[in-house]
Amino acid sequence: MGREVGIVGVGQTHHSRRRTDVSQAGLVREAVNRALADAKLSMDEIDTVVVATGPVLFAAVNQPEKWVVDAIGAQGKSVVRLTSGGGAGFAGALAGYYQVAGGYSERTLVVAYDKLSEGQLQYSISTLYDPFWGREFAVGIMGFSAAYWRARMDVLGHTEEAAAMVSAKNRKNSIANPYAHVKKEVTVEEVLNSKPLCWPIKLLDVPPISDGAAAIVLSNEKLAHHSTTRPAWIRGIAYCCEADNAPERSLMLSEPLAIAAKKVYRAAGITNPRRQFDVVEVQEPYSCFELNYYESLGLCPPGEAADLIASGATQLDGDIPVNPSGGCMGANPIGAVGVIRLIEGATQVMGRNESHQITGANTALVQSGGGWANLRGCAVLSA
Amino acid sequence: MSMPRVGIVSTSMTQLRPAWDSAQHIDLISAVVLDVFKGTGLTLDDVDFIIDSGSDVLDGRSISNCGFLGALGAHHKEEARVEEDGLWAALYGVNKIRAGSSSVGLIVAYSKPSESRDIDLYWGSMVEPFYQRPVGFGQKAALGMQAQRYFAAHGIDGKDAAALVARRWAAAAEGGQVAIDAVPDSDAVLASAEAAAPLTDLMISRPVDGAVAMLLSTEDIAARLGRAPAIITGMGTSMETHAFSARSANQLESVAKAAAMAGAKAGWKPSEADVAEVSASSAVGELLVLEGLGLAGAGKGLDAAMSDKVNRSGGALPADPLMATGLVRLAEAYKQLSQPHAGANAPRRAVVHGTGGVAMQTNCVFTLEV
Amino acid sequence: MFAAPETHPHDLPTFHSQISMPYTLTPGRAAGTFLAEMPNRRIVGSRFPDGTVIAPAQDFSPVDGEEPEALVQAPETGVLTAFTRVNGDVIGLVRLDGCANEFPHRILADLDVLSVGQRVAAQWSDGDEGTSITAIKGFALAPDAPEGKVIDLADPAEPLGVINYSMSLDFDHAYGPYYGRMFDEIREHGRVMGVRVSNGDDALLPPREVDDVTHKRTGTWKACGNTGTIRGCSIINMEILGQARKPPYVYAEIVLDGASTRMIHVIDIDDLESAKEKIRPGTRVRAIWTDGERQGRVSDIDRFEVIEE
Repeated sequence: MGREVGIVGVGQTHHSRRRTDVSQAGLVREAVNRALADAKLSMDEIDTVVVATGPVLFAAVNQPEKWVVDAIGAQGKSVVRLTSGGGAGFAGALAGYYQVAGGYSERTLVVAYDKLSEGQLQYSISTLYDPFWGREFAVGIMGFSAAYWRARMDVLGHTEEAAAMVSAKNRKNSIANPYAHVKKEVTVEEVLNSKPLCWPIKLLDVPPISDGAAAIVLSNEKLAHHSTTRPAWIRGIAYCCEADNAPERSLMLSEPLAIAAKKVYRAAGITNPRRQFDVVEVQEPYSCFELNYYESLGLCPPGEAADLIASGATQLDGDIPVNPSGGCMGANPIGAVGVIRLIEGATQVMGRNESHQITGANTALVQSGGGWANLRGCAVLSA
Repeated sequence: MSMPRVGIVSTSMTQLRPAWDSAQHIDLISAVVLDVFKGTGLTLDDVDFIIDSGSDVLDGRSISNCGFLGALGAHHKEEARVEEDGLWAALYGVNKIRAGSSSVGLIVAYSKPSESRDIDLYWGSMVEPFYQRPVGFGQKAALGMQAQRYFAAHGIDGKDAAALVARRWAAAAEGGQVAIDAVPDSDAVLASAEAAAPLTDLMISRPVDGAVAMLLSTEDIAARLGRAPAIITGMGTSMETHAFSARSANQLESVAKAAAMAGAKAGWKPSEADVAEVSASSAVGELLVLEGLGLAGAGKGLDAAMSDKVNRSGGALPADPLMATGLVRLAEAYKQLSQPHAGANAPRRAVVHGTGGVAMQTNCVFTLEV
Repeated sequence: MFAAPETHPHDLPTFHSQISMPYTLTPGRAAGTFLAEMPNRRIVGSRFPDGTVIAPAQDFSPVDGEEPEALVQAPETGVLTAFTRVNGDVIGLVRLDGCANEFPHRILADLDVLSVGQRVAAQWSDGDEGTSITAIKGFALAPDAPEGKVIDLADPAEPLGVINYSMSLDFDHAYGPYYGRMFDEIREHGRVMGVRVSNGDDALLPPREVDDVTHKRTGTWKACGNTGTIRGCSIINMEILGQARKPPYVYAEIVLDGASTRMIHVIDIDDLESAKEKIRPGTRVRAIWTDGERQGRVSDIDRFEVIEE
């Protein structure tokens, strides 16, 4: 990795099912203003801006950064948009990281958002499929996600009950998250008995549909102290992919995530992830994916994710808490989630997480991804 | 710790055609990715990352990069999609190599605007939906008003614009990279249908299908692979306000800002370049770019445009593969600098420009040196 | 340089695909109020702390992003500052009296008579344009129109929270040499053909010139079986927009015999519980082709059925 890059300011909206008081651009502004205030900076002190959102079809504005630029007062600056489906926010943060690490900027603002109330979520995701080959039978991304969870059940033992435990854990953790909008405790039984939508995915395995934005300020080492005495340094960050229709794609372990983790752990000096991370934040578009990440990130061996969640280790009081923020179950403005997870991880190591501060947290692992589960990345943050 | 300099190792481009109706996106993409390694000694195994530019709205599918990863050669590699002209993808790639974690990167940009039944919707969906879309304001209207103002302010007219367009088409035809049935002369440009008064169809850049790939690497790797590498010594980009009406009339401030950023890094001014390859959405847009780069004073863009150092490739007017145009310009500039030239007159410095948005809202400038 | 063979599928020049979706867009306070005031024939602007006014109203200054301090009523008169004609319609920029900005709208005059600086006045539409900005039909030349004034906005309407919107995009996708042959084979012979991967005998579906994994050229054509094995499947029990079949049914990713990659299709079911037992990864299935005329599409296979052992 290049120069030290730190997260020195964070801000997110109070996410909600539908914001009818602000436009897409206005929503972005809220998160940006909070991140700038948190970093004790004005837009004048930001060199470059990265905007990240999910697909254009979510909200009918093509290249929306060209509209958003007015609302965040970034006219005249270097502004570019990254997009990568569900992992857009993370991909945007990665681009911002390299702008600073590569010496192109000293401070970069990364803002990510989606205003999902404005469009037809699953139908717009169905357009991910090849129009010639598969789109006519697509059921958003849920049909696909459920199909391979079903396959992992047989091979890796990712049972409905194990996924229900993930949902119950994350929903419970969301209650203390001031930015979440779904705050209701559910039992494992309730998840198991909820309506099958794309079985094995059931209603309570699915996160809400949300409007929300999130922003971070990245700074080089030289300027970081202007904003905070305790930045969250990015010790490693990577985002990898696999061809969607590759013959060798197992969809059991996430190979792109395992590849990204290997790169990132090497950069950050992580040799025993289960013991070295104090806290983990993952982007679980459905409950079943969190189990997949446990194994792909090396928090447990393949086939032991169900045991890991059952053991309580990933609960708030476990030895490796996963999603103390509640993850996507509390709020899921898709394109913003990668940045939200980075914010939750960063504030943990900065010692000021607003949901559930893990005592003494010094090193955090953050995961994000999108597409057909074929774009996957992770980052290691530490104080 | 000093950061490595980044150079261009090789480029590959399909022909730019009004419609590649015998090929899919993946055919164009995989062709340039296969081709870009020829003669370099590198293979896909040497590539650390891929950054691509394309548009979901043009491709007719969401997260379209996701479906093209195999063609891009990205399987099990790091990949990123910049939904902006390919010059911004190159900017990302340069940063990534300079940061020290990667040494070889592949940049790909492509588009097939011919597959959109109404290309105006690509632009129309870019303006905000409450005030601008309902009244029919979009790319054409903005370019028309930009031209109307420029003509009025600087005493040039359609004939001047037509002469520039004819010159560019002739250059493109000579270059052989662009499919052209018949090169229009000035009269034909003037006589083409009205697009947005005072601009005729041919005074607006022609959308074409195509793909371009480029290998970037650290300078030391590039140097070992053959000829003196072309080094990217400066980069800058700037985005203006969304409100076309709030931008300065008769200038592109963002071009000047991007040029200043790039020039400050390179240590020389774009006006000192031996070669300029610039993008533009219209004939008047090209004049505004040249003025923004400092190659001509306000209102004098036409003088610079007729110089031999500007857009030898023909530029974007005869061939605008939306999302790939700026990367094509960088590839063309690289060719001009890296071809064997005799003696002291050999071009050594190039300025390269890419653009995006309605009426060129955002602009990017690179400096390239051998 | 890429030189594709100039091949086309028989009688299938391009593949038409339409993406068409309804939206509910939120304009925000300023634009929401402006639009809500359209039926009242009032033009709403924003006033900033330094006293400048812009119209139509914006929540943020297009110049620097500052927030306005109040919404105001802008006059209906102003001057023309730029103009063009697109598809026969004249569009121009108008600066309303007392305002610092310009905005685009229709100009209700011939292009030939226009010049910058002319006085113009809003003309309201005779029809019911509801809360659209097109309630202002456009701006007509009004040489004698007196200078209008910005005034306070009395009793502003509640801002619109949501407006209905739709976007429809039509594409004519090229088949290219590989998809072209595949769909010809489906249509003419009722068989699914792929090309061999670069390093084995199994076929890539859909076929392509370059192998997704090795990035080497693919091999020769090969007919895949009419039967295959389920790799992943889920039971669809919810309705979403754009769905071709009525739930419940099974969404299945199937590897046809002789193929290496998946085909996405559906399996009809009677009920959820029996489907859970009967249809799972590894289950063998058979393609059931349409009874009607084949069109050269994946849906020429109507569905897959489980092969009873």
